[in-house]
Amino acid sequence: MSYESTAQSPFERVIQRVPEGLRVYLAVLPVTALVGIFILYPIVRAIYSSFFEKDLLHPDEATFAGLQNYAQIVQNGQIHTVLVNTVLWVVVGSGVAILLGFLLGWLLYEKLPYVSVASAIVLIPWVLPRVVGASVWAFMFSGSQGIINELLVSLGIVDQYIVMLGDPSLSLWPAIVGMIWRLAPLFALLTLTSFQGIDEHLYEAARMDGATPWEEFRYITLPLMRYNLAIGFLLMLIYNIRNFSMIWVMTKGGPGYSSTTLPVMIYRTAFTDFNVGFADALSVMLFAVLLVFSYYYIKVYDRMQGETQ
Amino acid sequence: MSTDTPDSVDDFRTNQSWLYDTTAGSYLRSILVGIAVLLCAGFVLFPLYWLVVTSFKTTAEIQQIPPTIYPHDWTLEGFRLVVESSIRSGGYEDLVQRLFGVQVSSAIDIDVIGLIANSLKVSIGAGLIAVAFGTLGSYVLSRRDFAGKNLLMSLFLASLMFPGTAIMVPEWELFNTLNLFNTHLGLVLLYGAMTAPFVVWLMKGFFDDFPSSIIDAAHMDQCSPYETFRYVIVPMARNSLIASFIFAFLLAWNELVFALTLLANTKYTVPPGLLTFVQGFNVQWNVVAAASILVSIPVLIGLAYIQQYFVQGLTGGAIKG
Repeated sequence: MSYESTAQSPFERVIQRVPEGLRVYLAVLPVTALVGIFILYPIVRAIYSSFFEKDLLHPDEATFAGLQNYAQIVQNGQIHTVLVNTVLWVVVGSGVAILLGFLLGWLLYEKLPYVSVASAIVLIPWVLPRVVGASVWAFMFSGSQGIINELLVSLGIVDQYIVMLGDPSLSLWPAIVGMIWRLAPLFALLTLTSFQGIDEHLYEAARMDGATPWEEFRYITLPLMRYNLAIGFLLMLIYNIRNFSMIWVMTKGGPGYSSTTLPVMIYRTAFTDFNVGFADALSVMLFAVLLVFSYYYIKVYDRMQGETQ
Repeated sequence: MSTDTPDSVDDFRTNQSWLYDTTAGSYLRSILVGIAVLLCAGFVLFPLYWLVVTSFKTTAEIQQIPPTIYPHDWTLEGFRLVVESSIRSGGYEDLVQRLFGVQVSSAIDIDVIGLIANSLKVSIGAGLIAVAFGTLGSYVLSRRDFAGKNLLMSLFLASLMFPGTAIMVPEWELFNTLNLFNTHLGLVLLYGAMTAPFVVWLMKGFFDDFPSSIIDAAHMDQCSPYETFRYVIVPMARNSLIASFIFAFLLAWNELVFALTLLANTKYTVPPGLLTFVQGFNVQWNVVAAASILVSIPVLIGLAYIQQYFVQGLTGGAIKG
């Protein structure tokens, strides 16, 4: 600094005592400490606790259990259902949300007037409190007064009202529909932004060269959007796999375990069965998956940064 | 000949196709697009419409089969029940009777106003912490180079992915150790930690584009680094700061998992409070809908403000523009 400051507050005088090289760390310290204590430390702690037998009501009486909790993952009778549900939930939920979101984003960009108003409306499902969105769907799917039952009856798909949320073979699907409703707008907005970022002249040039609209889409739109789409895809996976509220509000993971996914299973294991050790082992499983997704997220992000700069 | 683009360039195309280059084809396309618009709009909007309409129905009409698409008589019964039950559980019946001469009686047991007060407390606290800590960090991360910077940035980005269900059990254990269980302070800190990395990314985007000539000018005028930050940068960053605050506020306002597991029901914020009500016996859906609308108002106001920052915020600053 070439200009020596004359005015100094007491606060600054304290800072002046810190060696120059360490002063930057002083500024990042609060946020790092906060994130470290409340987000990163629990992750480490879960890994540690997953080797112990622990009861939620008596957390101090933990006994070392080795890999027993992980063995339980294999042995547990419900875990098979839970994993199948989780895979279904993530694959169907993300897949449909992406297709629908892309369509919605394209319609917003190309076909609908008042883009900013329309996209604000489209975003409402995403920003609404999760419990609110989930309750609306729970009410719409309700077995006694649900509008969706009425719709299905009038379309002739079913003869009478069915209790979808209470039927083990159906209970997962209403929550998937609700989740698609919540996530598709997010993907739509990402799509809309990437459409807006593409230079119109490219299309013009392609048309001069005799490209059909499909070719324009295939060779201009998709390649230029690939990073945004990749990021959107990963976000869909991440938001889906860690979702808890949609299922918990609509079915509580029931009946039985028929609509329980991994996060709901963690909750039930820890807070209704009080088996903290096993819940921690399940959490570690969820970290592992999230870690893979985050790794790719950061990788895509880095590559995009590298290309735009 | 395509009809939706008057662009004459289309005439040059050699590989004409039926779908794009005949009148019938373009009609078919318009019809398909029209159907897609209607279906999408219906899927996105109908639940919202249903929420609003339900809140204005009478209790009797809610129980009707088949459900009515449009209420016979619009009523504020749902909202009245919500407010009355809040007054009753807050213990203000006498006060209201003395002031307005209205007898408050309600069979519903949900203290929405109390929940909103708790949520406001937690969300504002979390927003302030996230903005203060996040901005300070992001300024340095954007302006200076130091060892461990990239690691720190990746750590922040990764930490956005984990909160929620993956750490609810260890978080519960941590709260017990720190004696923060069932305190709003604990939630404020936790939500602050969840959103501070978000703010770092959002504000770093702002500081990266901030012209350094302004900062140099401030130095010339004998501003210390702190004064530059406080009196030059912060006022210019006002909009981004407000957007960051709203992001953090909304996250805290909507968060269910931690509020449910780290609070007991006397201190519940809106999401777990509403959840207990929805999952109670004999749910009165018009009251649920009315309560839902009341708690969604801050969200909608916030959305109107931060819409333009949304994509940037969602992807952790990954996409600019």
